[in-house]
Amino acid sequence: MIIDRTKRPEEKGQIKFKLPEIQRFELKNGLKVIFVEKNNLPIVQMLLYVNDGSKSDPKGKKGLAFLTSLLMDEGAGNLDALQLDDEIESLGSILRCSSNQDYSTISMLTLTENFVRSLELFSMVVSSPLFSEKDFIREKKKQLTKIIQLQDDPEFIANTAFRKILFKETPYESPVMGYRPEVENINLDDVKNFYDKIYTVKNSTLIVVGNITQSELEKRLNNILGNWNNQNEYKTGLPDFQKPQKRFYFVHKEGSAQSELRIGTTSGVRNAPDFYAKTLMNSILGGQFSSRINLNLREDKGFTYGAHSSFSYNRKGSSFVVSTGVESAHTAESVTEIFKEFEGIKKFIKPEELDFSKSYLIKRYPSMFETYTQIAGNLSLLPQFDLPDNYFNTYIEKLERVTLDEVLESARKTLNENNMVTVIVGDEQIIDSQFNESAGEIIKLSSGDVLSEKVI
Amino acid sequence: MKNVLNINYERFKLKNNLDVVLYKDESLPIVAVNLWYKVGSANEKPGKTGLAHLFEHMMFQGSEHVPKEMHFRYIQEAGGTLNGSTSIDRTNYYESVPKTALEMVLWLESDRMGFFLPALTQEKLDNQKGVVANERRQNYENQPYGLAWEKLFAALYPPEYPYYWPTIGWMQDIQSYTLEDVRNFFETFYSPQNASLVIGGNFDPAEAKELVESYFAEIPNNAKVPALNVPFPVLNETKKIIHEDNVQLPRIYLAWISDKLYGPDDAALDILSDILTGTKSSRIYKSLLFDKQIAQDVNSFQYSARLNGSFIISSTPKPGIELHTIREEIFKQIQGVVENGVTEEELKRSVNSFKSSYIYSLQNLNNLVDQINNYTCHLDEPNSFLYDIGRYEAVTTEDVVNAAEKYLNTNFVELNIVPKK
Repeated sequence: MIIDRTKRPEEKGQIKFKLPEIQRFELKNGLKVIFVEKNNLPIVQMLLYVNDGSKSDPKGKKGLAFLTSLLMDEGAGNLDALQLDDEIESLGSILRCSSNQDYSTISMLTLTENFVRSLELFSMVVSSPLFSEKDFIREKKKQLTKIIQLQDDPEFIANTAFRKILFKETPYESPVMGYRPEVENINLDDVKNFYDKIYTVKNSTLIVVGNITQSELEKRLNNILGNWNNQNEYKTGLPDFQKPQKRFYFVHKEGSAQSELRIGTTSGVRNAPDFYAKTLMNSILGGQFSSRINLNLREDKGFTYGAHSSFSYNRKGSSFVVSTGVESAHTAESVTEIFKEFEGIKKFIKPEELDFSKSYLIKRYPSMFETYTQIAGNLSLLPQFDLPDNYFNTYIEKLERVTLDEVLESARKTLNENNMVTVIVGDEQIIDSQFNESAGEIIKLSSGDVLSEKVI
Repeated sequence: MKNVLNINYERFKLKNNLDVVLYKDESLPIVAVNLWYKVGSANEKPGKTGLAHLFEHMMFQGSEHVPKEMHFRYIQEAGGTLNGSTSIDRTNYYESVPKTALEMVLWLESDRMGFFLPALTQEKLDNQKGVVANERRQNYENQPYGLAWEKLFAALYPPEYPYYWPTIGWMQDIQSYTLEDVRNFFETFYSPQNASLVIGGNFDPAEAKELVESYFAEIPNNAKVPALNVPFPVLNETKKIIHEDNVQLPRIYLAWISDKLYGPDDAALDILSDILTGTKSSRIYKSLLFDKQIAQDVNSFQYSARLNGSFIISSTPKPGIELHTIREEIFKQIQGVVENGVTEEELKRSVNSFKSSYIYSLQNLNNLVDQINNYTCHLDEPNSFLYDIGRYEAVTTEDVVNAAEKYLNTNFVELNIVPKK
């Protein structure tokens, strides 16, 4: 075979890719189930998606959703915390419980041969967690200590400060981990009440991806998880997000080896039609390695190991943020460059850039459905954002249809300089030497301000 | 379950000795290409530490027929993902792409294996020195406890030993690399005979074979790769180091020299680690976090590599608890294993979780082909999943106790990371 190294080889052939077929059914207790059968490995992944999290923490008790999720796997049914863990480990299964602002999850990965017993244990965790006083005291101490430790982490401080400013006076302003004095205030009854209110049949969707037939799965689920019977209902109202005003915050962290930057603003909801234009705009601007911001700050200037931007969506809207850690000496210059990139993308996008990003996102789509865990995670987007079942089938087509003008429009809508919040976590010695008055007012915060319930 | 771990493959060598393994799996329209170069930070010289890793960065800066920035861009445009990583023993490069783009990936990988030097410039080197210096700041210097591992290894080994320095390199060394260093490094280590290529996933083997032949066979070998012959390290005395860091809570690290990767005691040490700290009822975890509640976390690893391994335990005490209290409890639990042994239940639980983790790891094609390359390079047999699991199945309770006695009842390094005053 003769090759010509001077030319990039053409792609050969066609991709035939079938998206996983999604089945839906309900258990006798009314629990909604989304199922995908997948048989290349003897594995079953279960994921209980519970549609609420720390945004429903009561006032003065921030951190309750997190503490509840810490306690979920500390014993269930007739097994104490150690017995439960021992049995799961003996089966070679993996149980995880977690909570974020919008939702909580309980997941279990198991070999098919151990599916039935793993499902029984999973079911016990879901429907009859132990919530013993002794486990509660221990896990609460763990959370309180974790909050102390997070003061060391500049990325956590930057993310927390950014969200606190952006989502001021909404339930999204506080970190999932909560604040120390408020966690101190939580008692075991709070956990039990939160569990009764949030972890309900009506509020949950079970996602199963695995090596099992639908009829077998339905039978097993009905026999085991079908007896879970918390039918409580509740509704939460959420205030609308305000567009933030342009502000510049500096958090001093002594001995910082770099400056952590967050620059961004609020944006719209996930299931709006401009989702696809925003996705493409972000991809061109900072969403992947070959994006403008990364090529500028990393591959041209060498100021950073990496810089990227993203939209992260919640029930009420989203945030857009550029995140990077940069060499302290080039902090101000990096901020200037990021704002330049905002202005640049509002003015001009080359058709090749749009083609590149479309190609990147569309052609990699099959690889988003590779692992059992990935597929389950993708399916959880459906209940999370009330997306229709054909969402995955129409994704590529909708991306393809986006025009250059729509991408420019989404850049103009998102990247308004007057609404940009800038947070820097670094050593304050750099402020005087790098930021002059033209930068505007710099609001100085301490990491204590950021990580406490104090309003900033 | 056995059959998913018993993989079919085809292996051949090109005339320049490039080792090639083909593994077919048509479950998705994706193909993964994974290339190991048998060079890592262990092959560096003091004064130029971190060069293997910097070199990995340079490999993404283009080659004779691929302009700067285009290596990433071409693969991303085809819908692929890519990266590389450097460890103490090897450097790997990997791509996962839709099956239509296999030829392009082989073109890119062969171009940087055979035609790297003509595209090397001072400007690219200066840029990536800046990037790597920032990687060191971001991932080590600006992370709480981020310098712990390099402090530990620098105490565990003598300065000339190849695992003494960190993979990322010392900061002053990163700033010292010259074009000549990079050129020499390429000429010494980046040679077909020192590499192993695995292609896995959805492709036609006959076609892949022809493509590999066409793109790689003409790449010449350089001079012989220098062998790394060092005696197994010995720690002559127990050492204690104290390092101040920007942290709220202190942390203790204990490190011993241990058996090498795939060595006779390697699996027993993995299981020992699991029995000590791997689950809620594991010995040290239960004692520190459940019964006494004096620690926030505890972890241990059998960190095994080609020349030797190290066994490491670390723990963060709860506020107000002294490090020595944690240390005493850790040693008490190790002594408990040595004197009273471990139970069949503990052993069985641990072996089961190792076994299932192998099955779970097969879900991701990139992981799978990287593991195949690991087996090819270390064991000279790509189909070693069952052999590997068999190592764990063969471990007895006596083996675990013997491993604890042999490796943990000897000199060690204690590192205390303490809050700055």
